[in-house]
This record gives sequence, C-alpha cells and structure tokens, in this order.
Amino acid sequence: MTETRKRFKKIGITAGIISGLMYGLYTTFVLIAGKYEPLKGAADVLPGLSGALILAYVASGLNDFFAGIWLTIYNIKTGRIKELGRSLKLFPGKISLVGSFVGGPIASGAYLLGLSMAGAYAIPISAMYILFGAFFSRIILKQKIIPRVGVGMMICVVGAIVINWVKPEGSTNFTLGIIFAFIAAVGWALEGVFAAYGSAMLDSDVLINIRQLLSGIVDLFVILPILGGMGLLGSTMLSVPPIGWLLLSGLCAAVSYLCWYKSNSTVGCAVGMSLNITYAFWGVLFCILFIDQPITPTIVVGSIIIILGAILVSLNPMELFTKKED
Amino acid sequence: MLLPARTAVLNYLYGVKNADVDQIMEALKPEYGNERQFTKDRYIDHVMSLEANGMVNLSSHDLDKNGVLRMFYEINDDGKTAVDKYVDKKYRHK
Repeated sequence: MTETRKRFKKIGITAGIISGLMYGLYTTFVLIAGKYEPLKGAADVLPGLSGALILAYVASGLNDFFAGIWLTIYNIKTGRIKELGRSLKLFPGKISLVGSFVGGPIASGAYLLGLSMAGAYAIPISAMYILFGAFFSRIILKQKIIPRVGVGMMICVVGAIVINWVKPEGSTNFTLGIIFAFIAAVGWALEGVFAAYGSAMLDSDVLINIRQLLSGIVDLFVILPILGGMGLLGSTMLSVPPIGWLLLSGLCAAVSYLCWYKSNSTVGCAVGMSLNITYAFWGVLFCILFIDQPITPTIVVGSIIIILGAILVSLNPMELFTKKED
Repeated sequence: MLLPARTAVLNYLYGVKNADVDQIMEALKPEYGNERQFTKDRYIDHVMSLEANGMVNLSSHDLDKNGVLRMFYEINDDGKTAVDKYVDKKYRHK
C-alpha cells in the first residue's frame, strides 16, 4: 500500500524537477534561435514595438506549434488521438480552450517579448505567476490567503524590485520588457484557474496537446498576419538553424508541460508548482552559461529572493521535514 | 461519440458503490477495449489523478487471491456534481 503511494510520490517529485529544468532549457533554446538569421537581423529591419511583437510571435508561435506536433506524436503513439475530439466536446474541455488562449498567445507571447527586451531578467519576474495564482484563487475561488502565503508574496515583490533596481546598460526597452513579463505571469495564473477547471476530469496529456496546437495556430495564422509578420515567418521556416533550435525548444516545452501536469496530479498542485518554479533558476543559469547573459548582483540576488518567495507561497517548508508518510 | 477515457472512469464510478481498476476496465472494455490507450497503467493513472483532483476517494484495499494489491475507489460529492453537470445522462451506467 505505502509502497505504491511512495512510488507515485517519487514519480511526482521527479516529474516536477524535470518540468522546471525543461522550462529553463526551452527558454534558453528560444533565445538561441533568436541569435540566428533571419530572426537576428529582423530587429534592425523591423524596428520598434511592432518589430519586437513580430519577432516574439514568430518564435513563440513556432515553438508552441512544434510542441503541439511533438505532443500529437506522443498521443498517437499512446493511442489517445481520439481523446482530443472527445475532450473538446465536453464543457470542461471547452473552458480549458479559454485557458489555452490566455496562457498561449497572450502570456507566452508576452513572456518572449519580455525576454527579447529585458533578457534573462524577465525569467524570475514571470515566475511570479505563482503569486498571481494565489491572488486569483483568493478573488475567484474565495480561498483565504494564509500568513505564510502572504509573506511569500511580499518576498516575491521584494525580489522583483531588486531585479529592477539597476537597469542593464544599453537596454532601451528594459522596463517595458519587465512589464511584459508581468503580463505573462498574470496570464499563466489565469490559465491555471481555467486549466484546473478542465483537467479535473480530463486527461491532462490530451489537454496540453490541444493547448500547444491551438496556441501555435493562433500565433502563426491569426496574430502574425494581423501584425504583418508572415514574411519573417516564411524566411524563418526556410532556414535550418533557428528551426532546429525551435524544434528542440518545442520538445523541451512539451516535456516540461507533461511533467508539470503529471507532478500536479500526483503530489498536488502546491508542490508541483514550487518544483516547476525552479525554471527561473535554471533559465537564468543557462542564459549565463550559454548566451552571455552578464552576471550582475541584482539578477542573482533578485532571482534567489523570488524563487524563495514563490516556494513559500506554494509550500510550507516545515512540512518537508515533518511529513514523513501519508 | 464516446466520453474521454478519464471522464468515462468517473462516470462509471457514479453508478457503482466502489470499484478497483480491474473492475473499471472490465466494465469499459466493450467500448474502449480495442484502443491502444486501454492499459492498466493508464487506468491506474486515471483513478489516481481523479483522486488527486478530489473527484474520487480511496475507499478500501485488499489483496486478491494472487496476493496482488487491489485498491477500491468510490466517487465523492464533488465527483458526482461534476458528472451531473457535464456528462449527458445518456452515458450513465445502469
């Protein structure tokens, strides 16, 4: 009895850690893809905010679309492709579509926009989605905010202020980038509320598949044509290095989401989220290691403060030591 | 169209006092048995996820005649409300 449950818990914890690691890798690989032509040169050809938007949606859309393709292959392989249509026929499946739209085209688009403007500084800011998640639970689900969560939220805010304290040199849109990272955090928190509604009685592996496909299709075939970005999409599709990196980032995003949901449904949302949030640490670390993100005291200290605050929001540290067995 | 598999598990538990994974699979076999997703691991995942999401409870457990652990699950009030709200009555097991 306890053996089966212990094994499930172990799987859940491992999945949670992998989800954080993979989200850090996804973030880094998308940024690497942006270092190659035609994405690299596009910033000069398409200046201003609309240029940044087009760039963000080409990268975000291709990443999500590829993640959707990887997940479709996975679900075909495990015999669950029919589940996509079945899930969408039920009301909770339809509600999760709303969540997909808020979390995908809006939040993930804003995340990449934030990354392109503020670099790795955007990562820990976006991790504050946990804070907003707790906030929306209070407003929408009328859940009380207990003192521990309240303190964790304040710590997150302090961390965000620390990160913003010193602007990196030569970054003109830094503050705007941080604002977009905030929008991402709010969007993901709302997605969580909608997703919780849908995933209670549906297979989350199927819901993520729908989410990534829908997000990619809306980004690429609805938003990009409106922004006038189909030219850049076309030239990006034809060049191997950025597509290669985005295929890889899509795979990491797919694995990350699979593991996150797996973790949430085996060890509970609170623990799952706090393990997932370590992506802020991994993301900043990989950016420093692989793409010359300068190490500054504010990014290091701010990231650590936000991660600690986020963990405190989602998990009682004392339980880690006292709760031996359930 | 069939229900999504996880919803079908919940819907089945609505009509019985409790059931273990083998009983659930036996009941759903006529409709889902020929699909590749119809595996014991997948169905254990379904019931445990439903439990984690507060739709069903573990009601009892014992060892079968081969000494293999059986875990019996029963639907709770939240699970019943969800089925009442979202699953068409035509899917209900008698």
